Amino acid sequence: MIKGPGFGGCHAKWMALLGLLLTNVGEASVEYLKDIKPLFSARCTSCHGALKQNAKLRLDTVEFMLRGGKSGPALEPGKPESSLFFKRVTEANPDERMPPPHEGHPLTVAEAALLRQWITGGASAPADEKPEANPAEHWSFRPRTRPSVPKVARSAWVRNPIDAFLSEQHEATGLAPQPEASREILLRRLYLDLVGVPPTVDEITAFEADVATGWYERAVRRLLGDPRHGERWARHWMDIWRYSDWWGLGEELRNSQKHIWHWRDWIVESLNADTPYDQMVRQMLAADELYPKDLQKLRATGFLARNWILFSRLQWMDETVEHVSKGFLGLTMNCAKCHDHKYDPITQTDYYKMRAFFEPYHVRLDMLPNEPDFSRDGLPRVFDGLLDAPTYRYFRGDETKPDKTSLIAPGVPDVFSFKKLEIRPVLLPLEASQPERRPWVLEAYISAARRKVEAASNAHALLKQSVMREMESVTKASVSSPTPRGDDPNSRPSASPGEALQPSANTDQKASSSVGAGARLSTAPLELRVGELALALARAELRTVEHRSEAMRSAWAREDAGSDVSKADLAAVERRDASAAIRAHQEVMAAKARHHAADAELRLARAAPDKKGAIEKELAAARDALEKAMKNLVSEINETNRFTPLDGAKWTTTRFKHPNHDDPQIVFPASSSGRRSALADWITDARNPLPARVAINHIWMRHFGSPLAPNSFEFGRRNPAPAHAELIDWLATEFIESGWSMKHIHHLMVTSAAYRMSSSASGGEACQAKDPDNRLWWRRTPFRIESEVMRDSILALAGRLERGMGGPPVPAAEQGQSGRRSLYFVHSNNERNAFLTTFDAADVRECYRREQSVVPQQALAFSNSRLVLDAIGLIATRLGAGISDDDDAAFVRRAFLGVLGAPPTGDEIAACVAALRNLRALKDISPAQPRAHLIWVLLNHNDFVTLR
Amino acid sequence: MGFTGLALGAMLQRDGIVRAEEGGSSVGYPHFLPKAKSVIWLFMNGGVSHMESFDPKPMITRYGGKTIAETPFAGVQKNLEIERSVAMNAEQRNTLYPLQVGFRKHGQSGIEISDWFPEIARHVDKLAIVRSMWTTDSNHGAQTQFHSGRNQLDGDFPTLGAWVHYGLGSLNENLPQFISMGHREYWNKRDGHYLGPAHDAVPLRIDPANPLDYAKPEIPFSEEARRLDMDLARNLHALRGVEYPSDPVMAARVSSYEMAFQMQRSIPRVLDFSGESPETKALYGIDKPHCRDFGMQLLASRRLVERGVRFIQIQHGAGGAGSWDAHGGLKANHESNARAVDQPIGALITDLDRRGLLDETLVVFATEFGRTPGSQGSDGRDHHIFGFSVWMAGGGLKRGVVHGATDEIGFHAVENRHYVTDIHATILRQLGLDSRRLEVPGRVRLEIDHGRPIFEIIA
Repeated sequence: MIKGPGFGGCHAKWMALLGLLLTNVGEASVEYLKDIKPLFSARCTSCHGALKQNAKLRLDTVEFMLRGGKSGPALEPGKPESSLFFKRVTEANPDERMPPPHEGHPLTVAEAALLRQWITGGASAPADEKPEANPAEHWSFRPRTRPSVPKVARSAWVRNPIDAFLSEQHEATGLAPQPEASREILLRRLYLDLVGVPPTVDEITAFEADVATGWYERAVRRLLGDPRHGERWARHWMDIWRYSDWWGLGEELRNSQKHIWHWRDWIVESLNADTPYDQMVRQMLAADELYPKDLQKLRATGFLARNWILFSRLQWMDETVEHVSKGFLGLTMNCAKCHDHKYDPITQTDYYKMRAFFEPYHVRLDMLPNEPDFSRDGLPRVFDGLLDAPTYRYFRGDETKPDKTSLIAPGVPDVFSFKKLEIRPVLLPLEASQPERRPWVLEAYISAARRKVEAASNAHALLKQSVMREMESVTKASVSSPTPRGDDPNSRPSASPGEALQPSANTDQKASSSVGAGARLSTAPLELRVGELALALARAELRTVEHRSEAMRSAWAREDAGSDVSKADLAAVERRDASAAIRAHQEVMAAKARHHAADAELRLARAAPDKKGAIEKELAAARDALEKAMKNLVSEINETNRFTPLDGAKWTTTRFKHPNHDDPQIVFPASSSGRRSALADWITDARNPLPARVAINHIWMRHFGSPLAPNSFEFGRRNPAPAHAELIDWLATEFIESGWSMKHIHHLMVTSAAYRMSSSASGGEACQAKDPDNRLWWRRTPFRIESEVMRDSILALAGRLERGMGGPPVPAAEQGQSGRRSLYFVHSNNERNAFLTTFDAADVRECYRREQSVVPQQALAFSNSRLVLDAIGLIATRLGAGISDDDDAAFVRRAFLGVLGAPPTGDEIAACVAALRNLRALKDISPAQPRAHLIWVLLNHNDFVTLR
Repeated sequence: MGFTGLALGAMLQRDGIVRAEEGGSSVGYPHFLPKAKSVIWLFMNGGVSHMESFDPKPMITRYGGKTIAETPFAGVQKNLEIERSVAMNAEQRNTLYPLQVGFRKHGQSGIEISDWFPEIARHVDKLAIVRSMWTTDSNHGAQTQFHSGRNQLDGDFPTLGAWVHYGLGSLNENLPQFISMGHREYWNKRDGHYLGPAHDAVPLRIDPANPLDYAKPEIPFSEEARRLDMDLARNLHALRGVEYPSDPVMAARVSSYEMAFQMQRSIPRVLDFSGESPETKALYGIDKPHCRDFGMQLLASRRLVERGVRFIQIQHGAGGAGSWDAHGGLKANHESNARAVDQPIGALITDLDRRGLLDETLVVFATEFGRTPGSQGSDGRDHHIFGFSVWMAGGGLKRGVVHGATDEIGFHAVENRHYVTDIHATILRQLGLDSRRLEVPGRVRLEIDHGRPIFEIIA
């Protein structure tokens, strides 16, 4: 049955309904605060209020309406027809009507009727009506100061200032905190929260036995120092910072960057090293300007490199502005792309000022030591490549309608301009604009070329051997026995060695393509020649790499030389070396053609008659190429000849202009605009009111399950001050004054009494009635562990979780069998692990907070997936070690402790023991299975996936 | 509530486990009286030639081989600014390519339909054909665009099915309410996006042995033992409930296991066609290799609709970017694709109608774009976004009508033009939902996302 109110289903009925509403309106009385003021807030006050006073008019209080604006009073009580604003909102001509088109919907008939009725009735309003507050006074926009820690009555409960702030509210509202959770639950909480896997039974027993005070602090310190802490918290920040592996069509990159995992590893390492948060932000936004020589720090710019999009600069820039603003500042600047922000003091121009910081940046791969092949490895990083790209405001956000009358310079909204932005171009070291100068680059090319020569030489030697062996065996076969060799299904009998070496006239097509021994020998001389020429080609390629390196070095020597005299000499050397490099390249072309021609000849000799035509053409082309190459080799090298230098970095090509053609190459400039480091400076300035508050809220939410400020990416005026704004400010101040140490904040939060409360509401019925949603933290809020923690925990329990850190992501095909932590799985817009996705893995486009959905498919995944079913037997065996087969109660206790992290109650033991007995009574069940089944039940228990 | 994206929300409210959101969330109930309960969404991947299906254009045959500039319609290639991903197909495909199939009038309405769709044509008096669609992505991102209403350059947005799933409560708690079948291209694989994966369609395979991901143990597991395990789990949760009273998430999770258990049993039953008469099976063509797969999907759809599933999304045609993508060999391509879908679709309409389900079921036939009137290569057509056709049937729409028109060569939609979200708005309207009330905090939806119902085809 379809439920729901029965309104008219079509347009006519809808209109009739409106009519009905109108009549009703006539009868009911109109209340300003309930019926009228919300209309003004929704339609009018973003332009006529505290934010803006267009036409010098404010409509946020009746007093302002009476006072009016440029055109006189807006309101005449009792007289709707002569009230100016009423005329404007009911005007038929859309050009005259308020709100203007594109700024808001016109009033509905019903709303207009309400308004009329209110004015007719005298336009009354409460006497103490308050105007909208000055936007600069909004709680999160105000300068931050350290609030004093409240003195509270329940001082015994308070472990640190966090608790004092919470306790103050408890006392004010008559709430009492729940008691501390059991030691086992606390331990599981700490482990899952700080390192992302549960404690082992041994660890639990050790802590249970630790009678000295300070066991909890010892556990916290140890876990914060555990390298797994970086992996655990990296995944949180990867959500916020939008980590995505590359994806595209086949090998074609469309979004993010290949090898972007270097950025992920930087996050893990930085968190483990407790790199200050402000430093991390600075490195992510501008390491290329701040630390241009430091490859380790350059990894951080993956944050921006990830935004690269093959087809659209607009989308790339939009996503960058949106998520730099949301992620670091808690501002929805994206709302100001098409028009001024409706709630916050951010103009449309501010949006483009923010974009201007990023306008010059582009992405490239820098070569890493020992790997000259960019498809195998490379460092994705940003650089300013478009130094002259202008930023314009787009009319209504439409890219095709730029306002070219004014160039937009980088800048920040006025309300946050606590200091003058200083943007100074940064002169980069040579290795930034000429990455090929890095000491390892030329070496890497040369050693790769050497390895190829070695490989070709080995291949050639093997080929010679195998041909020799084959000749011998054919000779022997013809002497000893004419029967076919049974071990090779492709081999055919050969009448005589002489015949074997001649192309056989009656060779059938099938055999010639599958090359029998005889046929092979007939082409052996050719085959050997191909092998020789391949080796020659590899050697020629090594020579060209060596010559090019030489020529590049002499070019640098000339560029770097001080005096003009030596410059001339060096230029001569440069010309000589360049000529040698050009010649070496010509030799490669010749060697290539020679090899190609021989290879074609070989294939021709072996080809079926109907395939010969195509190969003959290829052979002719190869011979032409050879002839041309030989001509080049003897011709003079002139001014226009150039050699191709070896690359130390590769620009990531875009296709903004045409989907099938690369955009023109972008060079690596010698300087950077300095814009992004100025932005980073402004964001991480202690005076900036937002970033520390936003970061604190993110960290709190992940320790406590829900945030202090309800919307973690939106600290603007739409969200009024949260109940614990002072706590946020205290923590933010503590954060900054500790040198932006995240570990300091983690320590503070997890050692608070608030963190240690039980999540049970039992005994707290009065509090439950007062604050059912636990907004004031009178108990701990239980929440589901993230999908990655689930999978990692299952593997850890099964003893299958690998400890290795970092490196390229695990591809989809290998994930099923992989024992690596889930944060190392390929995770992109395109490709996500199915199990992790079922449990709300991060959306790579935006994930400021994980979803916590509860749907039946999750139950199916947890019941039936190979991941779980593979693990249960292993877990049962590990947990059952040392427990005798007939002591089910002991096993149940161990299993509860290991899987759920808490000992079972007597009833739970009884239920499990009975179930084990029933399982054993089933036929076709092996002795080990019942205990595995118990593990299955516990893994499917709510408290396994819940952080209690 | 301390958790979001809870598909079981309505159910738990009913059971008194959770309180309704303050302020009255619209989620879970229609906004006004619905005309339709369910949608069967048939989507042809790759782009169906509108001129050779539901919008025949004899002029392109008459002027076949001439460049557009040489015909009386020379002006049409000027007005191309809606295009946002610049593939320039329409500029490049200049030489008109004659229709590759005949067409004729059908039914009382006399609507013309091409000869590749004889079975659908028999139902022409039940169809509402919209011949004036346009979109903006001239590449296959348009598939996503047709589902979400947004060009992919703007990002990924929830699809129509996800919004329906988000907006409407469940009619059958033993089955997922949003199901997809057939082949989805990789860029068009998800639905929920910012609504969360709980609003992704559940992919269903026509394979009673393995219909759903994780629907049966991936490693054999004794059923009898599973039953004992489930009993123990239920028991343990009840015991835990003493220590943790009023925990809505735990209650929801327990319910989700019950529901999963039901789903595990219900889904194979839905896909078990043994109770269907031979006549019905033959009607859907599941005895014929060329339309067997699609026929089974449509028969399953009818069975799902009977059981109250809200939104069934079937994508036809795998390969390349979708099997209808006839850049070359259009005749052979469309002939064989049409053969695969025509009989099953005709059967679906017949079957729904004779069971009295057509009035409450909206059948939609759509594709990402049309194909160019001009030829590509010697015998193909390129992508065409400026005018194409979709049709709908049942669900309280008018029957046997054509709405909108393209110009004489099928280039531009010229009369009653409709962007793809107008189709969404029409469907939502019939389901009793007001698109403007389907919003989540922090996500601004634009005017173009909502579209406008096509009142001219609503009965």
